Amino acid sequence: MDFAIFGIVWVIISALAEWGLHRIGSNTMYFLLSNQGAIALHAFNFLTTMLTPVFLFVIWYLVWTAIRYHADSPESRPSRVQFNKNGLFTGIWITGSIALNLLFWLHPTAADLEQMFAAQLPSVNKNDLIVDVTARQWEWIFSYPQYHLTQTVNANGEDELVIPVHKKVEFRLRSYDPFHTYDVEAGVIHSFWVPAFGIKEDVIPGETRYEYIVATRTASYQTNPEVRVQCAEVCGPGHPWMESPLRIVTASQFKSWIAKQQKLQAAGS
Amino acid sequence: MAQNVVTPTAVKKVRIMPPMLRGFLWAGIGFLLLNSLTASIRPDVGHPFFTEVSVTMGWIGGVIGWLLGVGAYEGMILPLFGVTPRIQPATDWRKYFAFATEHKVVGMQYLTSSGCAFILAGAVAMAMRIELASSTLYFFAYSDRYLSAVGIHGTIMMFAVATVALVGGLGNYMVPLMIGAKTTVFPRLSGLGQWLIPAGVLTVALSPLLGYWTTGWRGYEPLGSQDASGIIFYYLGVAALTMSSLIVSLNLVATIVFNRAPGVTWARLPMYVWGVLTVSILNLIWLPEIQMAFVLRLLDRLVPLNLYNAMGQPLSDLELFWLFGHPEVYIVVVPAFALWNEIIPVMAQKTLFARSWAVIGLIFVMMLSGLVWAHHMFTNMRNSEMFPFSFFTEMISIPTGFAFMAAIGTLWKSRYRLTTPGLLILMSMFNFLHGGISGVYLADPPVNLQVHDTMFVVAHFHYTIIGGMVFTWIAAMYYWLPKITGRMFSEFWGKLLSIWIFVAFNATFSTMFLVGLEGMNRWVPTYPPYLHPLNLAVSIGAWALGTGFVLHAVHIVWAWRKGPKAPDNPWGGRTLEWQTSSPPPDHNFESEPEVVGSFYVYGEHAEPVLAHPPAAPETT
Repeated sequence: MDFAIFGIVWVIISALAEWGLHRIGSNTMYFLLSNQGAIALHAFNFLTTMLTPVFLFVIWYLVWTAIRYHADSPESRPSRVQFNKNGLFTGIWITGSIALNLLFWLHPTAADLEQMFAAQLPSVNKNDLIVDVTARQWEWIFSYPQYHLTQTVNANGEDELVIPVHKKVEFRLRSYDPFHTYDVEAGVIHSFWVPAFGIKEDVIPGETRYEYIVATRTASYQTNPEVRVQCAEVCGPGHPWMESPLRIVTASQFKSWIAKQQKLQAAGS
Repeated sequence: MAQNVVTPTAVKKVRIMPPMLRGFLWAGIGFLLLNSLTASIRPDVGHPFFTEVSVTMGWIGGVIGWLLGVGAYEGMILPLFGVTPRIQPATDWRKYFAFATEHKVVGMQYLTSSGCAFILAGAVAMAMRIELASSTLYFFAYSDRYLSAVGIHGTIMMFAVATVALVGGLGNYMVPLMIGAKTTVFPRLSGLGQWLIPAGVLTVALSPLLGYWTTGWRGYEPLGSQDASGIIFYYLGVAALTMSSLIVSLNLVATIVFNRAPGVTWARLPMYVWGVLTVSILNLIWLPEIQMAFVLRLLDRLVPLNLYNAMGQPLSDLELFWLFGHPEVYIVVVPAFALWNEIIPVMAQKTLFARSWAVIGLIFVMMLSGLVWAHHMFTNMRNSEMFPFSFFTEMISIPTGFAFMAAIGTLWKSRYRLTTPGLLILMSMFNFLHGGISGVYLADPPVNLQVHDTMFVVAHFHYTIIGGMVFTWIAAMYYWLPKITGRMFSEFWGKLLSIWIFVAFNATFSTMFLVGLEGMNRWVPTYPPYLHPLNLAVSIGAWALGTGFVLHAVHIVWAWRKGPKAPDNPWGGRTLEWQTSSPPPDHNFESEPEVVGSFYVYGEHAEPVLAHPPAAPETT
């Protein structure tokens, strides 16, 4: 009897939760607009789909205990039913948890990592747009070596990152301070994070790290505040302000922006 | 020998100043002594009297002076040289404010230290949430103050509360009682360890006096080496706090191995004792590692060594930190798992389900916890390293689940008494489940790369640590309050306040998951304005939670002083601590208990636990 009521309610609330999840599925991680973001969102939703019944099983069981099994008086009386093992239950629990975790390791973990690593192979990255990103305390500096641009800025003179949509971009991430008066190697760990990309990569002093991204639609900080470069690893008192606006534009807009930046740089030098 | 002859004449009352006051005085003397010594032998002429090197040495002198002053001089040093101290240890309430070796006194001292540290670091968290109620900087003068607050909150909560309360505190008090021992094996280690806690907490809390440090509780290099001098006192404070847990663990492991009463076999060992044993072994393995890592950081700064900047290898510092850092979170939560299955069978008066699996779970969590640490570094390690570490991280949920499995099986068709501790245990399982489930997401690298270093992670680990450890700690305090004090708390207020903290806790940290998913990074006192509404909600929840914790503390202290008298065994527990009077007598048991039955079998198969039950009838 207990078994039937508990089980039926569990199935019903799990089904309702899955249906609700399905309805909001594309927004569970708020706002993502890159190929990497699609991988993360897919993994997130897959895990949620699989874990919802597990989660609700325990939650519902705790509520069930409080409702159905609570003692009506505080006096110390043994429970009527007594047992210390149940091979079927422990067997299902242990094999189930092993199977579920092996599944998660194969999919999404291994499957998604294979996709991520494949996107980083040199053979598929021959015509990328290269953006050199330099993290210093506390500023993001963007340069476009293919266009001989050393530091791109907007009309206010603030660092600006602009990338074309649907184009593979290779970010080369380094941490040092080109403006330091005597020690350009002075640098700490930063983390290059665009929330809307769905990935962050730490920038380590003395090393070069790479991140490959294809943005899947045009957007800017004005259209969604998650479209911004944000340092995600604490890097000193300036850390909260180590952010930079980002614009994802069409190919032709990108071209005219590059031309403007080249003119600006020529005028400045 | 000569000294011993002198003692009879010296027995007459010798009054000294209160030991803690003497500790402060001797600490000041010790600090000045070693600081001056260091300053005097420095070769460069004209340097200031206080330098980073000299205050480091001075701090060591200060801590030694403090420990000797509070009573280690009479308790440890004089006996070591065969001198009988002229000052006898206090027997009244003063014994709680001096170096002590009686395990119940030490346990109470530890619980008090931990409780004060919890309130202190909690107040710092309240200040952080005041700042985060607005998207602009308005409460702290500048972000380095805020980041120092983050670091102080995290360091004290981790090393003086979460690691300590269930091991140094309840462990010291309960373990000898639960295994039928009169005392611990190395009581002086525990006694000394307790007094390292206030030293460490004060060192960390006052560190901003030497300059603000911005790294948070992890102290990542190379940022740490460019921070102001205050970070030195963070390194030193952690050294004191970890040393405290290390020597206490040594004592508890030895006690559990060597001091069990006849019949307390490994197969009968109480769940909580298993929890303290596994966590103490984790402490013995990993605390020396983190101490060496912090010594390296200190030397890297003082010498300096260039170990961790662009010329060295910054990542090795992160690796050394997390090699300890992940076992640490299991150090925090393993005793809580054990306590679930300690308290549930008593509240249900029902046989513990699948006991051996619950113990196997604790042991496997202990072993696997050393293999998962690099999941804290998915954003900065090489791709190939993600595979093995995501594997072990996902697998560690299996033995963790055994604690749930045993609890669920025990609760099935039980008659569960929803007393305050019983209710808090269910709440703790509810909360820890959120932490565990969100941990599965974090174990998956593609999701991790997005939510790492965001408030999602902050919510996740507060769910595991507050939800798992702090809720269980409060449950255990209510459960053992009648045992420790002989008095009962108010069920009404206990339950009301538990529901209060449960609602406030979930309101705070479930919202924090959303803040993280929406793109809020960590370690920031300011944030883009679109995150303001959710952050305000988190802040309101956090203040309610903080108030609830303080009220619990007030209620517990009230019950301890003024509560109604409790019977010796109010819950009908079968473990040994309930087979003696409340509060327990000086040597715990009138006669050495001999155990012949299982502690966790109830109902018609229940046999008497003791071969010779005490004469007094068991009250319920």
